Amino acid sequence: MESLSHLLSGFAAALSWYYLAYALAGCVLGTLIGVLPGLGPAAGTAILIPLTFNLDATGAIIMLSAIYYGAMYGGTITSVLINVPGEAASVVTCIDGHAMARQGRAGSALGIAAIGSFVGGVLATVALVVVAMPLATLALKFGPAEFFALMVAGLCLVVGLAGKNIVAALLMTVIGLLFAMIGLDPVRGAPRFTFGMEELFDGIGFVPVVMGLFGVAELLLAAEKRQARMIEAELKNWLPTGQEVRDCVGPIGRGTVVGFVLGLIPGVGAIVPTFMAYVIEKRVSKTPERFGKGAIEGVASAETANNAYANAAMVPLLALGIPSSPTIAVLMGAFIINGITPGPFLFQEQPALVWTVIASFFVGNALLLILNLPLVGLWAKLLKIPFSYMCVGVLIFCVIGAYGLKQSLFDVWVMLGFGIIGYLLRKLDFPIAPAILALILGPMMEKSLRTTLEISGGSFAIFLDRPVALALLAIPVIVIAFLLFKPRSLDKLRESDID
Amino acid sequence: MFIRRRTLLAASAATAIAPPALAQNYPRRAVQLVVAFPAGGSTDVGARILAGLAEKDFGQPITVVNKGGAGGQIGFTEIARARPDGYTLGFLNLPGMNTITLDPERKAVFTIDSFIPIVNQVLDPGFIWVKGDSPYKTLAELTDAAKKNPGKISACTTGILSDDHLAILMVQEATGAEFRIVHFDGGAQQLTGVLGGHVDVAFDNVGSVFKRVGTEIRGLAVTDVVRSKFLPQVPCTKELGLTTVISSSTRGVGAPKGTPADICKVVETAFLKAINSPEMKEKMDAVGLALKPMVGAEYAKYYTDLQAQAKKYTEWALKMR
Repeated sequence: MESLSHLLSGFAAALSWYYLAYALAGCVLGTLIGVLPGLGPAAGTAILIPLTFNLDATGAIIMLSAIYYGAMYGGTITSVLINVPGEAASVVTCIDGHAMARQGRAGSALGIAAIGSFVGGVLATVALVVVAMPLATLALKFGPAEFFALMVAGLCLVVGLAGKNIVAALLMTVIGLLFAMIGLDPVRGAPRFTFGMEELFDGIGFVPVVMGLFGVAELLLAAEKRQARMIEAELKNWLPTGQEVRDCVGPIGRGTVVGFVLGLIPGVGAIVPTFMAYVIEKRVSKTPERFGKGAIEGVASAETANNAYANAAMVPLLALGIPSSPTIAVLMGAFIINGITPGPFLFQEQPALVWTVIASFFVGNALLLILNLPLVGLWAKLLKIPFSYMCVGVLIFCVIGAYGLKQSLFDVWVMLGFGIIGYLLRKLDFPIAPAILALILGPMMEKSLRTTLEISGGSFAIFLDRPVALALLAIPVIVIAFLLFKPRSLDKLRESDID
Repeated sequence: MFIRRRTLLAASAATAIAPPALAQNYPRRAVQLVVAFPAGGSTDVGARILAGLAEKDFGQPITVVNKGGAGGQIGFTEIARARPDGYTLGFLNLPGMNTITLDPERKAVFTIDSFIPIVNQVLDPGFIWVKGDSPYKTLAELTDAAKKNPGKISACTTGILSDDHLAILMVQEATGAEFRIVHFDGGAQQLTGVLGGHVDVAFDNVGSVFKRVGTEIRGLAVTDVVRSKFLPQVPCTKELGLTTVISSSTRGVGAPKGTPADICKVVETAFLKAINSPEMKEKMDAVGLALKPMVGAEYAKYYTDLQAQAKKYTEWALKMR
């Protein structure tokens, strides 16, 4: 009940004109990022961090979170209209969303996506309110040993869930961890792999790397493709019919649960919950043959899971200080830049800030519903801007953003360098997300392992003495065992469902 | 290309004929105040309060620029390499800056002589604390236990070769205790580590946790010659007889070597006035940062004395690793 009274005062603040304006600005920018092909939420949020430098911490976090889930909404529009996912998590939406658009039902698809996203986002935030504070109290029991085990489990899940590309994902994880070693040794303080360059003493800047791998690389890829033709849809009928809404009640409910639960686990990523929710609907449905041919339940479940996931992923960030996806890691960077350390003490030390931000999640979801339902035609018009102009504009913004982080040209070079690396990796079909997550979790993992060993006096037995750490370390073992013995049937399942 | 070269020529000609920076026309434009730690940290908080208050008398904007990273090394390098014209000033963090120059592995390009200390702002004393229900009621009980069971009691710092690390070494030297040293990344991790029962004692600073002292946290000692005004109930190390255990995080404004003395004087006057103002005291009290204004010979002596003290313990720490 304490949470409830905090939340109410949070609402009072979040609904003030000042913060409302930031939430709105964030939602608009986020939707824009989602709509623009080539800019996912991670790169988009990263680019826009410097915009918030002059805001107070609360305003900055409200705006950046709004950008984050705004992008999750916006990605749907391109998926449905041009069959290009605006961000990775919208891939599943393409399957039935675009099919619906070809049947002239683009309005219904976008409408149900907005409604599903709203319901998923709001319900997940309600669950966040209930879960986050108790979890933060519990987090004190989490010592360095448990943190290390949790992060190992997270990275193993990323690899395990990579589908057919397990070897590639493993390779990318290791490369990410190697890059994470650059910088000062966390215990001795000696520089490692810095080649005497002081810019590297603090490690490779995570945000420029994300901008490069996700932003610049995507632009390069998009630039060489012929632009997909947009479906000129009748967007006047943006409300789904009553029957369609009734059909989607179940999918939206199940999508919320799947998205929320998976959002709590670090390393799962946004794509797994959407995929899983979709598969569940297909299994549950009496007419599974409609899936892939314009089943509105497919759109509803995927989009709901996507947004429930996005809001649930805030829980490990706020309660434990662990980023569970690249975008959340960027958000965590924004917290730190603004002088706020996410983690167990955040709720105690900055209750006003946390609860205002949480209340703003509700506000933001409502704003996005308004932005997306009646105004969807406006966003669709953006897709008509010639890509060549948009591409250059976005690239300029990336460069300014990378420079603005620390007023350092070095970061700009890092971004451009990783842009080219990212482009090549994508061409070679290597997954990027494991490398990014390894890069962000790597230093935290190393630090917590070494702190654990400092505490135990160098003995690895400490992991056996601590039941939570041991249980968490069992997850990777199970994942690996599962992969070794069950790969064929798993692949078969994936292929049959996605085709 | 042609145009660019011409602009460059014109620009260099302009610099050549510009009069040397003299105190009577200093400052003529905005001054950068480099903080070697990220925005929001306690150095940054103090710097922003100082910049805001000093601007009025200074007559020009004072822009705080955060160049965080590598325990301050990146920012300190930036200050040391800046043109000594008075338009780049920086915060000097002691003893963090000293230990960087003293650790050969860090390959620092600056020494403490690369800076002119102008005016000190803050002295945040070290603070030794345990969890509220810890068996150790006093510092003596803790050090006795750590002497009887060497290496069994864990003590955490806010980073390797930080002031807290040096403070642990000072306590070990003075009492014969032997701790198991655990390095955390900062105050938040220390809090989780000790309150979660993973580490026994924290070596910290008053400013980071003074608001929590009470049931949650038991203060054992403040590593200073006097008690802290924020924690009047906690004894200081001097009164406990540990006269060599004096450690703090101290920071003030300095300029790169070669900055003209008359310019330094202008900075000193404006900043000192701000530091002594009642608004400064009020704002710093709210965040638990104790002011310690020092200028001229006093600050210079503190600066060199601290280097000698830091040298001794850094060498000791380096031998241990």
